[in-house]
Amino acid sequence: MAVINVTGGDVAILSLGNSSTLAEPDNAAVFQIPLLQDVSVSTAPGTVRYSTLDSTSSSAFTTVVENEITFNMLLDDDAFFGNAGVTDNEVATNGLWSTSNSKTEVFFSISFEGDTTASGGYYLEGKGFIGGLAPSASIDGAVWLSPGSIIVNGDLTKQTL
Amino acid sequence: MAIRDDLITQITTNIAAHSNVSISQELPFDQSGIPLYDKNMGVIYVDEQELNVEQLYRTLDQGNVNQTTTTVNAYLSVDAKNEYSDINTVVANLLIARNVVTNVTESNSDYETEITDDVITYTFEYNFITV
Repeated sequence: MAVINVTGGDVAILSLGNSSTLAEPDNAAVFQIPLLQDVSVSTAPGTVRYSTLDSTSSSAFTTVVENEITFNMLLDDDAFFGNAGVTDNEVATNGLWSTSNSKTEVFFSISFEGDTTASGGYYLEGKGFIGGLAPSASIDGAVWLSPGSIIVNGDLTKQTL
Repeated sequence: MAIRDDLITQITTNIAAHSNVSISQELPFDQSGIPLYDKNMGVIYVDEQELNVEQLYRTLDQGNVNQTTTTVNAYLSVDAKNEYSDINTVVANLLIARNVVTNVTESNSDYETEITDDVITYTFEYNFITV
């Protein structure tokens, strides 16, 4: 048992691909989003509350889980606008902007403990749609920054390398 | 080209119309521990630039973005009893010389004066922030 230290630079990784295999952290053609400042995984079970005459407290039951990945990043031109030189992963070829704009479903993984088999680390995988891109620039900020999100379609699945 | 060189070039241009002031490229500019601007009044001396690098952004993949603050000091001494009639213009021209440095997120210049005996020493400080 130990905390997961992310300061190494190769631990917390968001990866994309146009298939679940391509999105696996250790796949040679995986598209790792560079220059992430932070990444958050949100999993929120829907609930409905109800009251009964025989209880002074409300009860609840769950409905569906809404999953979302959110992140903030410095813009990398290849990652954002695509790299035509990449031919084995369409998400990398088209970039985040075009993939979001075309509403193309992508597969993703979030590594919690690195991207090598040797690490044996946990990661979450799923599929969804890229959204929330809002690139902004200011002279104080000096570089382009953007938030982003993946609206998850379905489950987040726990995996290990 | 170093920022110091750019500044010297621009200051040279800016003071061209002021015959009582000139600029030296000399480094270092002291003799036996005495700054040359104290001996050679009316001559502007520009010190070597100093850099301070700080982390502007940190990222999870260590693709860090740094910002560099470059500081350059310049010195000018004049006779306090016989100050140049155009000293205000000279000072203004020295301050705006900072505009020659481009591709910066911030450029600032200011000055302070110190009077010792009959000599006023103007110390100019230029700051440039680049990413």
